[in-house]
Amino acid sequence: MTSQTSPKIDASVHVFFKDGADLRGHLREPFRSRGFPDPDVAWYSRPGPKYAEGTTGADGSHPGSDPELVGRQVLDERGFDYAVLHPMSVAGTLPDWHLGTALFAATNQMLAERWLESGPYADRFRGTVRVNPNDVEGAVREIERWRDHPRMVQIGLPVQTQAPYGRSYFKPLWRAACDAGMPVAVHLEMGVGITHPPTPSGPTRTYSHHAAYQPMTYIWHLLNMIAEGVFQEFPDLKVIWADGAGDMVTPFMWRMDTFGRPHLEQTPWAPRMPSDYLRDHIYFVHSMLDGPGEAEYASEWLRMTGKEDMVMFGSSYPDWQTVSPEDLPSGWSAGQRAKVLGGTAAGLFGIDRLVPA
Amino acid sequence: MTIELQHENRTAATEKDQVRVVDCDVHPVPRRGELAPFVPEPFRRLFAQRSERAGEMIYYDAPDYAHAYAMRTDSFPEDGNFAGSDPNLTFRQLIMDAGSDIAILGPTNGSDGQTEEEVHALAVATNRWQDACWLDPVNNWHQRFYGSIVAAIEAPEAAAREIEHWAGHPRFCQVLINAEMRPAWGDPRYDPVWQAASRHGIPVACHLGRGRFNELPMSPVGFMTYNHDLMVSYSMLAANQIMSLIFDGVFDRFPNLKIVLIEHAFSWILPLMWRMDAMYKAQGPENGLKRKPSEYVKDHIWFTTQPLDYPEDKLELTNAMEWMEADRLLLFSSDYPHWTFDDPAYIVKHVPERMREKIMFRNAVDLFHLPSEVPALAGRKRVF
Amino acid sequence: MTAEPAAERPTRLARGREHVVATVGEIRPGERRIVPIGRHGVGVYNVGGRYYAIANYCPHEGGPLCQGRTHGQVVVDDGNPGGAAEVRDGEFIYCPWHQWGFELATGTTAVKPEWSIRTYPVHIRGDEIVVTG
Repeated sequence: MTSQTSPKIDASVHVFFKDGADLRGHLREPFRSRGFPDPDVAWYSRPGPKYAEGTTGADGSHPGSDPELVGRQVLDERGFDYAVLHPMSVAGTLPDWHLGTALFAATNQMLAERWLESGPYADRFRGTVRVNPNDVEGAVREIERWRDHPRMVQIGLPVQTQAPYGRSYFKPLWRAACDAGMPVAVHLEMGVGITHPPTPSGPTRTYSHHAAYQPMTYIWHLLNMIAEGVFQEFPDLKVIWADGAGDMVTPFMWRMDTFGRPHLEQTPWAPRMPSDYLRDHIYFVHSMLDGPGEAEYASEWLRMTGKEDMVMFGSSYPDWQTVSPEDLPSGWSAGQRAKVLGGTAAGLFGIDRLVPA
Repeated sequence: MTIELQHENRTAATEKDQVRVVDCDVHPVPRRGELAPFVPEPFRRLFAQRSERAGEMIYYDAPDYAHAYAMRTDSFPEDGNFAGSDPNLTFRQLIMDAGSDIAILGPTNGSDGQTEEEVHALAVATNRWQDACWLDPVNNWHQRFYGSIVAAIEAPEAAAREIEHWAGHPRFCQVLINAEMRPAWGDPRYDPVWQAASRHGIPVACHLGRGRFNELPMSPVGFMTYNHDLMVSYSMLAANQIMSLIFDGVFDRFPNLKIVLIEHAFSWILPLMWRMDAMYKAQGPENGLKRKPSEYVKDHIWFTTQPLDYPEDKLELTNAMEWMEADRLLLFSSDYPHWTFDDPAYIVKHVPERMREKIMFRNAVDLFHLPSEVPALAGRKRVF
Repeated sequence: MTAEPAAERPTRLARGREHVVATVGEIRPGERRIVPIGRHGVGVYNVGGRYYAIANYCPHEGGPLCQGRTHGQVVVDDGNPGGAAEVRDGEFIYCPWHQWGFELATGTTAVKPEWSIRTYPVHIRGDEIVVTG
């Protein structure tokens, strides 16, 4: 696919229910009457606006909940052809996994009906099937339920888990994702729940520290999945780390390769050098905090470790950290920029044609 | 003077060698029973009771552990004691054969107490033992060994007293703490340690190791499976400590404080500096932070070179070192006698030429106030 | 100051020609002998009656390779509790420093064939073990 013909794709737009009542309206009993946190409740809240200016609905509905407003701001105003919608949820870290699975099912139903099957932008939106890692069997059933929906293009998982994603009991999830031909996008879950502390040294004292550190959480999953042989066993599995920090993959892969050379004896189920498992398996959504920004070596840095074929533009709209194409490093080559702005995502999600007139 | 005569008499030469390699991470361990006399009661008796029938404690094991014990297997002395227990063998393999001019000892045996008091008692004992068994005129006849004031970060007030006790000792050049303690170091409870160290101009070095019960660097997604993924992810602990030190304002409270991160790898600091600076730019100076985070890193934080992680294309490492200004960040280290040992001649090859002198010795000489020449040794390897 | 006493360095055998390093029976199966050929010496190994010779030098950081332990190679074996088995016992040398492993017969490694060690031809002449190095 050449850069000229690639559609421009925003690979990560966050969508929400309008409010708590909207969510409950999509739930059946007994779950409708249960207690669960609101997504904007957090252990670490920003001292400042949580969402970008002008993203709240005219009726006061939650930012990212009105398909027409989102379509206008994300697609029309920023000039994108497609947007991959990733519903934000609290369900993935709830202790009662039955409730979590019910919440995800309601979320997927809402996404399909409200965003992918109706409204003026439905043919330009693509969706995420949110599933619960604390209920692997239920997650597989939910993937089965949606895998043939023409506009569902990826599986969504929380980055906060009880155990790293390399552990063998997650295998049915990877098998189902491969069978469905969908990549798996892993993103921070919102709200509060049964999470381990966000850093190895416990809670942070500032929001800056917390918000800059937490996107790097994927590193543990990635290291563990490689060493546990997940990508060896599932050659079709593709994982998108959707909170950014793709720039950290370079030092951690240098380290894992260097340290891995002798350790491979302990893991014959992952016999290749760790970095060999990145290509065609690992993708990142670019984020506001990812470096190096306006450095003369930005292009070289993106090339290193093959990041130029892994990083995809994602606005994270309507989060306060939302980015637009103007925020991307000007030092990238035209080819790199085209890959990031849609080329890579088009191949990954199978979006290979322009919007029908 | 021949090597034999010099070593047999254990006399320092009057001639001098220029210091060209300072090894900032060397691990001495006590011989069996050697530490106990230095442990104060009632802990001595308690530790003796607890060690009864207690054997191997490893659970994330390095390759071929049952034979190698995560050590260079050629570093076990012939007397049956553990690797790193013989000052003469360390001297021979590290100073004579590998060519380090100065070795900074960082004992990590002072960490496995179950209470703050126990960890402190072990720190006290470890310092007395270092002073008597490694830094003494007999074992350190060559004057190539410097030591660390082991301090129990778990007990900040006691740690500060321990720093005060040893500060001014001519051969202790840094404070040494464990990396795993929770909460992170920006918490004000640790201020007495930073205060004592910066009052005396002594850098605080931090080495990874197992802390007290359940103080592995617990990941936000649960425990890793192998030594491989655990040890690689260990750098995330250091990344977090750096962010805590900076965003919680420790360097604003203690402008003279210098932190040395030993064996946490270092190439990740490049994107971490970008990340912190980007957050600072977007979010503003939370906590009244006075400068860009990367400026605190370059003025206050040092990393040791081991483990040196390198890409297939070595030019990428060279570039990354230039971009991060590695000559303002790095101190050479070998990690002897651990199995992850980096030979100084090997590290020299990977360091851009214009940075070599600073990284191999000059930064350490300045930071730790070390001599720039030491009594000469005949027959010693010269690294570069 | 830098002159090295003779005792520090045993006499080195010349390189590039045949060296009788032992008689058959002096290096028994599972044993090895390090002989002073070349700059770092050469390790001569007897693995189940076959002889191999490798440089006593690890290409990674220059460790004394032949002071490492020989053992087999770990492979996936789902029939074995734990899912792994060690095969070809004794056919691989692991460096005493960083545990990098190499196949004695070829000097190569399955993971990164381009990181190889030097091997030397060994043959038996009468009851002598002869290394060409």
